[in-house]
Amino acid sequence: MSDHALEGKFKSFYLWSAFSSIKLTLFLLILLAVVSIFGTLIPQQEGAMELAEKLSPGLVRFLSSVQIFDMYHSIWFRLIIGALAVNLVVCSLDRFPSSLRRFRSVPKADREKLFENLPPERRFPVKTRIDQAGEIVASVLKTKYKNLQKKDGSTGTFYFAEKGRYTYFGVYLVHLSVLLILVGGIIGSLFGFEGFASIPEGEGVDKVILRKSRTPKPLPFTVRCEKFTVEFYPNGAPKEYRSDLVFVRDGRIAFQGPLRVNHPITFEGITFYQSSYRPVAGDKVRIKLTRDDGNPEPSTLELTRGNAIELPGKEGRIQILEVSSDFRGLGPAALVSVHPHEGATKEFWIFQNFEMIRKRFPSAMLRSPSLDPSAFKPYTFSLEGVEMKYATGLQVSRDPGVPLVWSGFTSIVIGLFVTFFLFHRMIWVRLAAGKKGVTVAVAGMGNKNPVGMERELDTLVDQLGTKLQEPKSS
Amino acid sequence: MLSSEILSYITFVYFISFLFYLLMMVMGKEVFGRLATFITVVSFAGHTFAIALRWIESYRLGIGHAPLSNLYESLIFFAWTIVLLYLVVEWKTKNKTIGTFATPLAFLAMAYASYSPGINSSIQPLVPALKSNWLIAHVITCFFGYAAFGLAFGLSLMFILKKLDHPKRDSFFLRIIPEPPILDELSYQMVVIGFLLLTLGIITGSVWAHSAWGSYWSWDPKETWSLITWLVYAAMLHSRMVRGWKGNKLAAMSIIGFCCVLFTYFGVNYLAGLHSYAQS
Repeated sequence: MSDHALEGKFKSFYLWSAFSSIKLTLFLLILLAVVSIFGTLIPQQEGAMELAEKLSPGLVRFLSSVQIFDMYHSIWFRLIIGALAVNLVVCSLDRFPSSLRRFRSVPKADREKLFENLPPERRFPVKTRIDQAGEIVASVLKTKYKNLQKKDGSTGTFYFAEKGRYTYFGVYLVHLSVLLILVGGIIGSLFGFEGFASIPEGEGVDKVILRKSRTPKPLPFTVRCEKFTVEFYPNGAPKEYRSDLVFVRDGRIAFQGPLRVNHPITFEGITFYQSSYRPVAGDKVRIKLTRDDGNPEPSTLELTRGNAIELPGKEGRIQILEVSSDFRGLGPAALVSVHPHEGATKEFWIFQNFEMIRKRFPSAMLRSPSLDPSAFKPYTFSLEGVEMKYATGLQVSRDPGVPLVWSGFTSIVIGLFVTFFLFHRMIWVRLAAGKKGVTVAVAGMGNKNPVGMERELDTLVDQLGTKLQEPKSS
Repeated sequence: MLSSEILSYITFVYFISFLFYLLMMVMGKEVFGRLATFITVVSFAGHTFAIALRWIESYRLGIGHAPLSNLYESLIFFAWTIVLLYLVVEWKTKNKTIGTFATPLAFLAMAYASYSPGINSSIQPLVPALKSNWLIAHVITCFFGYAAFGLAFGLSLMFILKKLDHPKRDSFFLRIIPEPPILDELSYQMVVIGFLLLTLGIITGSVWAHSAWGSYWSWDPKETWSLITWLVYAAMLHSRMVRGWKGNKLAAMSIIGFCCVLFTYFGVNYLAGLHSYAQS
């Protein structure tokens, strides 16, 4: 082999042995843990904006470039996870052959050595004949264990049985599960989406705003919110949020049902979650009109946005163009349009909190035609009330990785249980015929849990003792 | 609330049982240990009764739910799991010295719950996000996991203290602490149990989060810190396979791990986020 090729082999061997090291595992696990701490102390994503305002722009630019404010999705964080995954795979591949060998190795039934220094409590005499004793031993072992073998050795007849040979692979199942979960996460972030939709009662949407890019994503159907209900407990805490949703596909209602927190609805592979709500202005307003000519009687009008009605004094028609629950922080407002029978149309905003506004702002500003409630003489308009309704806030997402993640969750629990709570036990029973009768000896070996092994042998000795001393029934 | 009154008294009974365990360690008399165990068992029975009573009281108020929904209830339950797990360990190992290190944890949790001014012990109705069957599974698995890690922490403290013992030193307290290999083995078993339970806790939390918020993992501080805790204990389990990592390093990791548990439980409330117990 040429020097170059040899060097290459050394390098790949070095890489392999580096990644098959458990010391590396320890290092990476701790590194991941420590690094994750920073993401909980430094505000992330939306929360970072407040912090960013307090720092110098140069520092913010630098920190953003190393993705400190979204570190769990950053390249370097993913690299650490990737290194851990590679480490996991290499370690498993490296150690699997020896586990396979252990799994495949067939133990000898006549292991004399095991019985050399047996403690006295594992040995007892019986009066049964050796062949009958053998049958009983075999039947007891068969009910509790697998792979029964019998062999005649120099010191007696040996029986061997075992259980839990598969437990050598428990740790590989745990590691495979971790990979499954990681792959599920990757698939979800590559092929899924997460978005938000705000739907006022009585309206529908056919797109959602994606969380990461803030851009709209169209849906192949329309979601309508017929009604949103929020109930409160006597102490003021929320009791239930419920949106009555209707899914419309190609003009027909395909599905409808209530959406509650913890009870999402999935339609055509896309899942909707009840997330939040906010009050929004409805379409109805109540306006008071006062005249500043002779007639002192104020009148009240109830108007629905878009409908024009005659003014009480027949001067013209009034229509509400827009309703807002909070116009630029000034509170509820409505855009009024008055179309006189003679003359130009006047449009102006009127505010529910007019008194407060008048105190805060100079009166000159309020003379501006679009903010003057007395813009259409002889009336002064005031906004009494705005109908409020709700807009429901829904989380909308599709995550094709979820089934993989759920499988990973299930298998990791099974894997951990098999790895730590089950073990491979091998049992040997020797029957030796002597002058005084037959002596039964019980020995065992387990790959873990020596205390548990001892207990198991004690139980077996009791069982065999009882069964072998029983008077035989013909 | 009768249940919270009972629990405030149980707090002191746990303290008394701690004193008796301590007395046994210092004076070396078996009888104190037996008394301590007796008091602990009686106290635990009262504790169990009080939790069940609280559950019933919530139904009488018309807002029936398992008593696992806020900081007060979780602290009471945490203390309960610690005592239960300890009693099982004491029964299986026949060793009462561990009681000196386990009962203070229970006592401190109960004292914090019952006497801290910032903690509200009244029964509150469940807000929509908590109305789920996953609540019970998630809380139970997490807290039994925390309890196991708490016991491992106590055992690690004992391990470190035992290092101070040598033949010339005449301290019965140190002498009666079991030998390091036993402590090491027991501590490892506790970590194994805790790890499985914490894994289940994180999983049930994720599945719940997915049905409530549409995302099984959103890197919020509580989720992240539970993962940090998981990683530290995973490292500890792996370190057993590395030659040269003997008892001291493992004891240190167990202590660091429990600090992570405490931060996951309490610290994250100061970091805000979806999970914050604060204000309950």
